Amino acid sequence: MSEPTPQSAADRAPSEPEPLPVSTIEDLCTDVESNVSRVIVGHDDAIEHVITAVLGRGHVLLDDVPGVGKTMLARSIARSVDCTFRRIQFTPDLLPADVTGVNVFNQKSREFEFNAGPIFANVVLGDEINRAPPKTQSALLEAMAEEQVTVDGETRSLPDPFTVIATQNAVEPNQTYELPFAEIDRFMKKLSLGYPDAEEETELLGRAVGHHPIDSLEPVTDLETLVRARETVAEIRVEEPVRAYATRLAGYTREHARIGVSPRATISLLRAAQARAALAGREYVVPDDVQMEAPVVLSHRIRTESRDRDGESVVADALEYTTVE
Amino acid sequence: MSTDSRGRTVDVDLEQSVGAGPFRLLALACVAALIGSYVWVLREVTQVVGGTGSLLVLVGTMLVAATVLARAIRPRTATAAAIVVVVVGFAYYLEATGVGVDAALAATGTILDDTAALATGLPLLRMVEAGLWTLGFAPGPAFLSWYLAVRGRYALAVVPGGLALLFLVLTGDAGTTITLIGTASGIGAVGFGELERRGGSVAQADLLAVVFAAMIVLSLSVTILPGEDEGATFSGGGDGTLEGTIDTADERSGISGQVDLSPEVRFTVDSQEQSYWRTGVYDRFAGDEWVRSGSLDEYDGSIDGPPGDHETVSQRVTAQTELGVLPGAAQQIELEGPPVRHAEVSAHGQPQPADTLVEGDEYAVESAIVDPDPDELRAAGTDYPDDVIDDNDYLQLPEDTSSEFEEYTAEVTAEAETNYDAAVAVEQYLRSSKGYSLDVDQPAGNVAEEFLFEMDEGYCVYFATSMVQMLRAEEIPARYATGYTSGQEIDDGEYVVRGLDAHAWVEVYFPDHGWVAFEPTPGDAREDEHNDRLEEAREDGHDDVDIEESEDVPISDDEDEEEESDGEEPNESDDEEPNESDDGQADDDGPDDTEPDDTEPGDADDGTSANGGSGDGFDPQEVVTITREQLAIGLLALIGLAAGVRRTGASRRARREFRLYWHGRRGDPDEDARRAYRRLERLLAREYRPRRRGESSRQYLSALSAAESLDPRAERVARCYERATYGGGVDREAADEAIATVDDLARERLPLLDRF
Repeated sequence: MSEPTPQSAADRAPSEPEPLPVSTIEDLCTDVESNVSRVIVGHDDAIEHVITAVLGRGHVLLDDVPGVGKTMLARSIARSVDCTFRRIQFTPDLLPADVTGVNVFNQKSREFEFNAGPIFANVVLGDEINRAPPKTQSALLEAMAEEQVTVDGETRSLPDPFTVIATQNAVEPNQTYELPFAEIDRFMKKLSLGYPDAEEETELLGRAVGHHPIDSLEPVTDLETLVRARETVAEIRVEEPVRAYATRLAGYTREHARIGVSPRATISLLRAAQARAALAGREYVVPDDVQMEAPVVLSHRIRTESRDRDGESVVADALEYTTVE
Repeated sequence: MSTDSRGRTVDVDLEQSVGAGPFRLLALACVAALIGSYVWVLREVTQVVGGTGSLLVLVGTMLVAATVLARAIRPRTATAAAIVVVVVGFAYYLEATGVGVDAALAATGTILDDTAALATGLPLLRMVEAGLWTLGFAPGPAFLSWYLAVRGRYALAVVPGGLALLFLVLTGDAGTTITLIGTASGIGAVGFGELERRGGSVAQADLLAVVFAAMIVLSLSVTILPGEDEGATFSGGGDGTLEGTIDTADERSGISGQVDLSPEVRFTVDSQEQSYWRTGVYDRFAGDEWVRSGSLDEYDGSIDGPPGDHETVSQRVTAQTELGVLPGAAQQIELEGPPVRHAEVSAHGQPQPADTLVEGDEYAVESAIVDPDPDELRAAGTDYPDDVIDDNDYLQLPEDTSSEFEEYTAEVTAEAETNYDAAVAVEQYLRSSKGYSLDVDQPAGNVAEEFLFEMDEGYCVYFATSMVQMLRAEEIPARYATGYTSGQEIDDGEYVVRGLDAHAWVEVYFPDHGWVAFEPTPGDAREDEHNDRLEEAREDGHDDVDIEESEDVPISDDEDEEEESDGEEPNESDDEEPNESDDGQADDDGPDDTEPDDTEPGDADDGTSANGGSGDGFDPQEVVTITREQLAIGLLALIGLAAGVRRTGASRRARREFRLYWHGRRGDPDEDARRAYRRLERLLAREYRPRRRGESSRQYLSALSAAESLDPRAERVARCYERATYGGGVDREAADEAIATVDDLARERLPLLDRF
């Protein structure tokens, strides 16, 4: 099963990148992971999830208390790949133009020139995204969904790859805006890091007292490799039984929650599963891949009736009671 | 399961799979055999009553029509056509029998009753227009069966044919062998049809053969066991029951085979005149048995008497044992007494009780005895009333009656100028040319012919059968009567009748007079046997052989007379006596003598023939009928069992169990890999726990291997399954390996199979 699908090369437009062999994806990810873990102690799962999200052309929302390393995780992953990285610190007074960029009148050339905002980067870190008002948040919507921004009626493409890693603060509810449901849905995954355990924290302290390791972090791969890896992931085989399984999972959430997951969620789920399969060096998705991704891909898109029951528990039930075939 | 919906690609494995062609041929052959099985049963009927040619032509036409129309019309149209054919056929039958279609429409209840009677064991031969009935019955199912078979709908094709056969089984006409052939054909048709449809292999055909074998062996043993002594299974076996299915058993249960042979006293008669005590009349000869056609009507206070002069004789009959018949001098015209309540009367005027008489039951009989002079009979002419000639089978000969038989009869009666002379000639010929013996083997084929041409001796049944058939060959209406001879006269007008006295004789119709009895059985040597036997029984201390007084009275007193009569009778043929009915009844004539002998013969032979020998009480019928009932019950039980098994899902479970150890036909490698894995899952489920719903194969196996020592081979099968299901497929080799692995794993868990 290690042979690449023969038709893929021929069918692809000349400009499209050549996919990497599946077996190399695993190595690539291992490299990135070990690189990142020089900065981040523990959180291996989260690291993997972020990597698969990037490979699966998704965006990630990190949701946790401040200070557990959300930003550091995003930065270290971005730095591990030799690509452009921009950080946007969301504040209550941040305006949409601050994100997308503005047209500025150039006195010299007597013309308006576009002054690209921080969103024009391969990896964008939206820090504390929920501190900005919905209007500004919505500037992200188009960017995340369409990979393009429109300023003064002019549409500009974002670089490829384009990944948003946003963090949001779970405390201070009075000073934050809840993310619109539509925006939430555009994040492939929502992750929580949680506190490191005692051992990890001790280790973490040991690293952080000197120079912060992130400063010395070197890229382990380049943009082209990342693009090709994403192409590989896109070609991972998803057979009908797996698609049907994902459909059943989605159906379960719709039956057991006020708002279940959207078809966009199912697409995200399968893309994440593709990346997960590639990570395991497999050319096809198995239900296990779906199951591994489902909690982080589906949970944040579910609205339940009661407070005792959240998206996570609905997804857990869905995984338990949905037949795998 | 989504995977099942994928098209099954037939992986043509030349070594294993047989083309659809042979299976189609086999399936068609099976359907043909099924049709053939019930047509054969119907043919047996038409051979007796005529119309075999028409039947075969009709069925042949239907088969051709079905073949031609198979491509032309749709199943619904064909079904409608078959129904039309059936309806038209039966309408014709009803018109022909004089019932009329209108009447049929008006009297649905009657028709339902008739159908119910048929379906509960009334043999087809008892129907008045049995031949026409078969012509109405045969074409519809044959057409529909063959039509469906040609269209490849084998399972459906079995339905009409199977129903037709089932009906014949219920009427008791289809013997075990034919039923078995029909059933096996039906199953074969379905089996081979299925194999054709799915592109089966030789291995599966083998399986079908195993199923056949098991079925046949089982069904034979099942039918053999209940009636062990009679070897009931193959009806019409060579045991020589002359009278086969004549009556329904329950009406005759009082006299069983052995009892008949026995010297036990059956009943006593108080009569002004000595007579044969008739208990049954049969008109239809089937070559190896006599059948009474027509239905039974409730006794309504009187029975039609003879058309001409007759004297009336009163008798009082007392049953001395259980008795399933109503003996009385022919022709009974009036009955009285508790036992005859609800009595039924056959189409031939013979009454029979609705319930078995018990010891001590008593009834009075008024009989009209026809006692004309020979001259009167000679002058009777041949102007037979319609109801004797047309509506009955009194001239019926089996279709296979040879021309030699008719020619020979013509020679015997060459000198006779009148029907009476002809009857006397035949009577005398038989009495003088054949010996009497109880110890005969029943011949195969037409008993009348065999007795006339091949046998030197026989007993009353043979003599009477041959005589009836010979007379019929001469166009003289005749019928076969059974009953008892007059028995031992112990007092003035009191007769003791024993099982030994059972007898069969002949009745011949004469216009303006009615039925006159003839006695073709030679009486000479028999009484001795009768007496010996009775003496033997007395010496053995049997209680039932005598009633009070009868022991003291010499049995031989009859004998003396008999001897005289014997002597007379041969001579008498010219004179009055030949028609024994007169003489016999009047005094102790020859008839008596001859009769006793006859009864005994029955004993001497094997049980079956014994029955034949005895009068009407014939046990053989009982035996045969019981067998058929058992058969019907057995079939029903099987059907019920099958339904039950199906309902409880036992068959499905068994199949699943079987499929656990046997992969079955291999086809698409992906499908094979999936099946292999499912078998593995079931194996593991049995050993550890079933896979949970939300558990993937990986999780299941790793959970098992974490908790138990899981065979690492299981992992390989699961990987193969994964590739087949999610990874775009596996190749043949991988699938085979998975199958082999699961086979090994399964066998290791079933010690018995280690060897293979």
